[in-house]
Amino acid sequence: MKAARIALGGAGAAALAWGLLLLAGLGPQVLAVAVWAVGGIVGHDAVIAPLVVVVGALAAARVPGWLRPVLVGLLVVLGPLTLVAVPVLGRFGARVDNPTLLDRPYWAGYLAVVALALVVTAALALRRRPRPSAQP
Amino acid sequence: MTERRLTGVAARIDARIPRPEDFRSDLRGPGTAARAGTWLGVAFGVCFLTGLYSHLLQDPVARIPLPTGPARLYQVTQGVHVAAGTAAVPLLLVKLWSVFPRLFERPPRQPRRLVLHLLEKGSIALLVGAAVFQLVTGLANSAQWYPWSFGFRQAHFALAWVAVGSILLHVAVKLPAVRAALGAPLDRAPAAPGAPSRRTLLRLTGLSAVVAVVATTAAEVPGLRRLAVLAVRSGDGPQGVPVNRSAVAAGVAGVLEDPAWRLRVVGPDRTVELSLDDLRAMPQHEAVLPIACVEGWSASGTWGGVPLRDVVALVGATAEADVVVRSLQSRGAYRASTVPARWVAHEDSLLALTLAGEPLHPDHGYPCRLIAPARPGVLQTKWLREVEVVGA
Repeated sequence: MKAARIALGGAGAAALAWGLLLLAGLGPQVLAVAVWAVGGIVGHDAVIAPLVVVVGALAAARVPGWLRPVLVGLLVVLGPLTLVAVPVLGRFGARVDNPTLLDRPYWAGYLAVVALALVVTAALALRRRPRPSAQP
Repeated sequence: MTERRLTGVAARIDARIPRPEDFRSDLRGPGTAARAGTWLGVAFGVCFLTGLYSHLLQDPVARIPLPTGPARLYQVTQGVHVAAGTAAVPLLLVKLWSVFPRLFERPPRQPRRLVLHLLEKGSIALLVGAAVFQLVTGLANSAQWYPWSFGFRQAHFALAWVAVGSILLHVAVKLPAVRAALGAPLDRAPAAPGAPSRRTLLRLTGLSAVVAVVATTAAEVPGLRRLAVLAVRSGDGPQGVPVNRSAVAAGVAGVLEDPAWRLRVVGPDRTVELSLDDLRAMPQHEAVLPIACVEGWSASGTWGGVPLRDVVALVGATAEADVVVRSLQSRGAYRASTVPARWVAHEDSLLALTLAGEPLHPDHGYPCRLIAPARPGVLQTKWLREVEVVGA
């Protein structure tokens, strides 16, 4: 395993160095690239992750155990999908001279997926709900 | 090693920052991180290799010969590139969530351990920064959204190396922990009856990746097109093919109908000028070829025109010569492209005059465009004015 680690580490360091060299070759654009890369770290560590931690803490305190797996599922499926959908939902790249670009009803499609996820979640939740026992 | 003691204001601030052990979810931990991380590594590996191939097609290296077929090769590799990047979004988020408490580890005091600690945190910052950058810029680019001031392709290429390098370094550092985690059972007994398990979380992560990929890129798979509700293209367009850059956007809309248009063909022996009728009078060839864009979408059409090799043969080109094609566009990074000799020799590399049996739509490159197999769409130069034989 030691040899594998040395090989992996060596290859990684070389690729990393090459990448940084390529970055340096971008000249004054490096600053904008750095802003976006650091912005990615901040966006995750200071916004998305704390939000999920708060949601998780609330759910752990308020939501019964049997309901939590389906809610985790809802968050894990719809959260990333929503982030992926941002560029098309906003249609930021749309151009009047090119009607073939961003030419789908994105909000309708996105809301249909959300509705489907909610229906599936509700059906699973109903199945998991503990039955009140018939005995007094 | 004893816990370091802080005093005064520092101690009060420290007391307010959570510690790793304050995060209570049983779903976190090495078992989750190692598995989500393995999938993430595969996704980034696929993105890196397909991206490298795309980059080499656009900036050819003479010593690395690339295949000229099958015609759909680039369509597949670039579709896989975008799909793997999309799948990486939930994988990365769950991976980062599973190790998030470690962000709050307090640095050790002993200098040697402190240096190692800072090196590890630094390499992880590079990894996270590069990985998020790649996914964000890639997804925005696929929707032709450029809210930044740097050149996308150069930055995406440079940070691909940073991302892959820091992933390899991270794996090298963590390999014993990864092996131990993958060898151990994934779940302990769930904390509360019915509460989610790590296995459930990982299955949901996989489901999330599948849903994201189907919703964005299934348009490329026959029969699944309607499920791709977030695809950047429906696949419709003039003559059945979508347009990446219109004639208006390229600034050539006013000059396409000029009857004085001639295709200038420059070669080692002579230069000739061909009118549209001259080109139509040459032996025509038809080929079904895709427009496969770097953004991950693609659409096939039946193109008709003159094989490029027949045209450059008029000016004395040899079989080893590359050809540069130039557009009427006066600006734009892709107004010219180089066709390597291996592509020039291919009978399906066309100076196309028709699509679906009709003269090219202005947005598809009227009067004449290049179309060749297994090449990125941005290199299929439109609105040609000049073909020049270069090298060899």
